[in-house]
Amino acid sequence: MIAIDSLEVTLSGKKLLSDISIEIPDGRWSCLVGPNGAGKTTLLKVLLGTAPYSGSVKSDGVEVFRNQKRNVAFVPQQPHIPQGMSVAEYVALGRSKRDGWGNESIASRLLISSILEQTNLYGMQRQPVTQLSGGEMQRTLIARALAQEPELILLDEPTSALDLHHQIDVLNNLQILQAQGVTIISTMHDITLAAMYAERIIVMREGRVLVDGPSESIIHSPQLKAAFDDRINVFTLDSGRPVVVARKDELER
Amino acid sequence: MKSPGQSSTSSGISPIWNWRITALCGALLLFVALAAVSFGPINLSFIQIIKTLLGLPGGLTGQDKTVLIDLRLPRAILAALVGAALATSGAVYQSVFRNPLADPYLLGAASGAGLGATIAITNAHGNVYSLLPIFSFVDGTLAVLTSFFISGRFFAEPQSLLLSGIAVGSFATAVQTYLQQRHSSSLRPVYSWILGELTVANWQIVTWSSIYILMAIGILILVSKQLDGLMLSDEEAFSLGINPNRLRIIAVTAATLATATAVSASGLIGFVGIVVPHLVRGITHRVTNRNLLTIAFAGAAFLVLADLGARTLLSPAELPIGVITAFVGAPFFLVVLRKRRTFSR
Repeated sequence: MIAIDSLEVTLSGKKLLSDISIEIPDGRWSCLVGPNGAGKTTLLKVLLGTAPYSGSVKSDGVEVFRNQKRNVAFVPQQPHIPQGMSVAEYVALGRSKRDGWGNESIASRLLISSILEQTNLYGMQRQPVTQLSGGEMQRTLIARALAQEPELILLDEPTSALDLHHQIDVLNNLQILQAQGVTIISTMHDITLAAMYAERIIVMREGRVLVDGPSESIIHSPQLKAAFDDRINVFTLDSGRPVVVARKDELER
Repeated sequence: MKSPGQSSTSSGISPIWNWRITALCGALLLFVALAAVSFGPINLSFIQIIKTLLGLPGGLTGQDKTVLIDLRLPRAILAALVGAALATSGAVYQSVFRNPLADPYLLGAASGAGLGATIAITNAHGNVYSLLPIFSFVDGTLAVLTSFFISGRFFAEPQSLLLSGIAVGSFATAVQTYLQQRHSSSLRPVYSWILGELTVANWQIVTWSSIYILMAIGILILVSKQLDGLMLSDEEAFSLGINPNRLRIIAVTAATLATATAVSASGLIGFVGIVVPHLVRGITHRVTNRNLLTIAFAGAAFLVLADLGARTLLSPAELPIGVITAFVGAPFFLVVLRKRRTFSR
């Protein structure tokens, strides 16, 4: 479990996160939602251990920046794409630590091969990552994260660059991981998809957590609407699934 | 997507580092070095050279042995060391600065060393060449340290460090030009050094430069796999188990040590740091830094070959080695630039 207590993050005098105290359970998929500038990406970086903070963020009882043994995969929204690196090399980076920074073991090479197939990248392993489409790059990022066999995977808007078909592909793949006991924490702008896949939703605005809890109750909560200035509508389909859509402003004539 | 575990191959992906290509480059270096010590105004036989080096009967004697042991061998070894240092440093700088066109002279090492050499040549009396390596090494290292100092806490940002390097380099070049104008009689030796030369090679220079260069290359090869992570964003590198700031300092320090040593031993030899890493990456279809040993061998072979050309093309006159490397390197640089533009479209 990740226990966050009185978390504050300040950068160049500007408070990015303040007074956050929540608990994120292991083996579940938690999703951070909120408008731009809510602090979702900053919270992900805190959980990764790269953003300086005050307060306490403990994973298994140890502060995250001190816990060197954690195996956390990170899928950024805007990755730095290395010139000329092939898909296979890029995905193999995920195995580096497990293989002791040496040559890939046969087991690792088999796993990478399997992951490339799983993410529909098999046959593209020699292609430079700079030549991939947005969707292919996102799948490559997910493949690298899978190769890490992480205990926790942090994803910043994993579906933002994808068409609907590939969004479902990526999310289904993450769901398989979650079924294997991996903890998933993602940010997502598409609240309908967040409610469909994540078990918990954490609603943020202006650096604070407004509410968190099970997706099915949060999706209908007034705090979710408040986070978006009451400019969203939540409908429930016949199947019982909630759908969140932006509300069209009525212009005064 | 398919369910995990399904795979159409029985052996997985091919290894990222191919040891056969490394071994091939090592063999190529040995062959080129043998050719380099063999050809010249006096041609020596391959068999006799090998017998002499292994201490077997039937080897070279008299003047031929002196030419081999005291002239050609230290020169070939120094060329190999300098080539390996520049190529390895270039590859590392390209990873650290996430820029395929970065070269080992980027942080002011070359300009600083140039200034040091100019100070030595314009002020020294007597044997200039004994002081020149020390002056250029100290000034080259000082220039890089100044780049770090100016970038301050932003040293972790590759772009800040790079800009500091450019500023320090420009300043050192300006001072160097001023000194040259004040001492116009020393223009010729300064320019000769700037174009690179291995004529001063002797066992003493080979010994001290090999200590620094081999140590630096050894460190870089040890962290080579982690260097691949620096080509990603710092957050991604961290998630892979890398401390990007610490690794960046280790890599830049080791690469600068190798570069400053190479420059102080042989002057400014351009383009090796760009040409060789890209050549190896092109052949292996891999950008991984685990090719660093391959790049070191290839860089060594390239410079030994270039030095052979410098010695023999206009024999008995000698071309500055920098002219040969630039002659090959400049067109290659343009090809890389063009390819890079195609990539980024």
